[in-house]
Amino acid sequence: MIAVKLIPHLLSWFGIVLILLRGFPKRRSVVIATSIAGFVIGVVGAFLLLRVLTGSVGFVIITSVLGMCFLFLWGVSVAAIYSRAGRGVTTGWGVRLVSTPLCAGSVTAISGIVAGAVCSCTLPAMDSTLMNLAMLGSISGALAYVLAYAALAVEKRISHSFTVSPSGMISAVVALQLFSSSSIIRLDLFSPLSMKVMKFAHDFVHQFMESMLIPDHVFVWSYLWRYIGLLFGKEIGFWGGMFIWFTPVLLVMCAVQYERLPSVAHIRQGAERRKLLAAAIRQRRLRLVVPFIALLIFTAAAYQSCYPNVEYWDPKPIVVTATSSGEIIIPMKSDIDLEDGKLHKFLFKQGGKEARFFVLLGPAAKLTVDLDACAICKPDGYGQADGTVICYYCKTLIPLETVGKPGGCNPVPITFTEKKDGVHIDALTLINEWTNTVQSTTKGKEGGK
Amino acid sequence: MKRLLRLSGNLLTSRFTSPVVIGFFLLLYIGVAFFTEEALITQMELVRQSAVLVALLSLLPLNIASRIVAEMLRYIERRRLFSGTAADNESELFDETIVLAVSPAITGLQERLDGLGYRTYQTERSLSAWRGVSIFPARVLFLSGVFCLFLGILVSLVTRTSYRGPVIEGVALPTPSGNGGVVEQIRLEKSTGSILSKQLSMEVAPARPGDARVSCGIYPPTRYQGSFVYPRFLGVALLVQFSAPDLQKGFEKHAILNIYPAGKEAAVEIPDSPYRLMISMAESGDGSDPYMTGRMNFTCKLLKGNEMLFAGNVPGGGEFVRDGFRLAFPDFRRMVITDFIRDYGVLFVWSAAILFGASFLFWLPVRLFFPLRQMLFIRHGTDMIRACSRTEGKEKMHGGVFNETLDMFDAGRVERKTNLG
Repeated sequence: MIAVKLIPHLLSWFGIVLILLRGFPKRRSVVIATSIAGFVIGVVGAFLLLRVLTGSVGFVIITSVLGMCFLFLWGVSVAAIYSRAGRGVTTGWGVRLVSTPLCAGSVTAISGIVAGAVCSCTLPAMDSTLMNLAMLGSISGALAYVLAYAALAVEKRISHSFTVSPSGMISAVVALQLFSSSSIIRLDLFSPLSMKVMKFAHDFVHQFMESMLIPDHVFVWSYLWRYIGLLFGKEIGFWGGMFIWFTPVLLVMCAVQYERLPSVAHIRQGAERRKLLAAAIRQRRLRLVVPFIALLIFTAAAYQSCYPNVEYWDPKPIVVTATSSGEIIIPMKSDIDLEDGKLHKFLFKQGGKEARFFVLLGPAAKLTVDLDACAICKPDGYGQADGTVICYYCKTLIPLETVGKPGGCNPVPITFTEKKDGVHIDALTLINEWTNTVQSTTKGKEGGK
Repeated sequence: MKRLLRLSGNLLTSRFTSPVVIGFFLLLYIGVAFFTEEALITQMELVRQSAVLVALLSLLPLNIASRIVAEMLRYIERRRLFSGTAADNESELFDETIVLAVSPAITGLQERLDGLGYRTYQTERSLSAWRGVSIFPARVLFLSGVFCLFLGILVSLVTRTSYRGPVIEGVALPTPSGNGGVVEQIRLEKSTGSILSKQLSMEVAPARPGDARVSCGIYPPTRYQGSFVYPRFLGVALLVQFSAPDLQKGFEKHAILNIYPAGKEAAVEIPDSPYRLMISMAESGDGSDPYMTGRMNFTCKLLKGNEMLFAGNVPGGGEFVRDGFRLAFPDFRRMVITDFIRDYGVLFVWSAAILFGASFLFWLPVRLFFPLRQMLFIRHGTDMIRACSRTEGKEKMHGGVFNETLDMFDAGRVERKTNLG
């Protein structure tokens, strides 16, 4: 099972080494050595990190590194398009830097470390004993060695005319890293990115309207306000996320496509000029292949993020009633066991109103009662998977350690008392809390400023 | 000192300054977003409070202004070259520059280029040819727009002040300085415009003798004593009188209630008592807007703790009495919650929007249909010619013409050599 889970990560790693070998054609030995070393360091380092740091901190660190790689790609793509678009922009120092062994070694080592760390996140729970670490190091080293040399063998068989630009190389490497990480929901970048974009769009529109003194919805036609309301929905998060996700690789493709052709003014034979230009255009087209493949990989990663191969635990809410004193009492153990670490959903109805909530035993062995809704999204509810709960509306992952704490997309916590006979919740508080939350989030999502 | 000045000059005119500064603020936003949900507002606050960040942000308009100057100088220099008034040319002003080893006659060339649709201008030592219209005006408009946008953001962030107050009929306008004229009337009417559904006007009497009467609308916002008047929400200023059997004294208060549109509730707390009033504007029976007509009825709920004692409708100017409770609204007036905003950055941002629009409208047809293509041939001594070419579009076609022209020179050279031989 583990081997099956590892296959996409190892294939991504193989692809990364292959691209790096072609990207640094004069530094093959450096690429091979640093890639193997980087991969082993990544596997062992992440293994230790995830076991030494409790909770989600380890995952946050690895996700942040992946985020930085993506930002780096953004920087590279902007620099690439800028250097193509601007007359008189000198990039000679950049070309010289890319061809140094230090650059080849650094890029390869970082890529290896990230790829190794992502692989390590799929490994089952094991103690970080010296023996286990040594075994992990040896196995990952052997795997990296085999895959790196396999990549070298494949790379030698690819035509020499098939070249890759530095920006194309970076885009493909980052695409493969993100594809690899998108299959692990706690390392996924696309969904959190969409959520952040949604929040940014909301804040930006609000600030923009206030700054430009644009009238509030009271004075604007409602049909028009509905269009403005689109900017507050999750669709803007998705499409904005797509824009940020794909733009760097598209910029790289544009940079390659619009590379200036060599000057032929010094050649006086028309046929020779055309031959030279045709060769340059052919080379340019070949350099487009790698960024195009990167584009496809980015698409696959986004798809994997939107439709993860994970089954969320999402039980049907059990209808509960209140006692005459207005309390909802849920026994610790009946048909369900509140302390089994799973999310248990309940539905309470009173006077035409209803509230959905769940009870969950957290990793610190403490019960928490929360609304099946957060303070910022539409109340689509939560599902549970792999040490997290997920907000179905914005796809944000909430680590189990933070469930029960208010703020952001966390489920809204409800005051309760834990007694011998079960969990006691005040029915009126629950209904009021649900009504307030749902009213404010629905208004926000449907166009309120 | 000279080096420092040169460095500053390079920094200001560099094409990389703006992207780097924007990238920095983007990274700052991402960093802030790690720690707070309100990343944008926090970042704006950070910039306001930090002189370093303000200085960094001010690099953007400065850089763009320097770029406008630099590009204008380049444009003028290029024009001088084409008119033959410049002494020599800089190869970086062109896409391609080549020096030919022999000096062919330029005479036949002018007719040929004329025939290809190029306009030509010949001087003693040079021939320039061009076709199409330069996108330079669009470029200047665009850069000016960017300049205005960043300057507007900077000015707005650093200098914006905002003061919120209720504008009430019959009461002086609550300006930050406190010396606004009396609001004579607030009118809300239906609008037939495509964007605004309502028109609001607040008629303000002169504050001092000699001042003009002012009518403040919705958009564009009116300026009053240096501040933009930005109406936010509508409501009612209500004189509330309340007495209950268990209250020693009656309660009277001028309440500012944000209760527009009809049905929206606002609370009035009765101090030192368990009572609370929930007041909303009642829908009119005929479908008209009570705020517009001025015929207002108020729906009131009286709560004691969380328990509702009774609910009923009270007409503006009327009262409601039941079981020893009395609720009366002897006075009610239209009210607009209004922000008084002093922000000159807004003007720059509006200007930027106009400049971007103008730039786009100029750029699109020129770039698609009449991009500028230029050639310049300058004789150097008796046996050299320098050929330069530059395009703003349709590169392939122009490149073909340029190369064929050079071929023609070469053919002329060979022919001449043969004749001489």
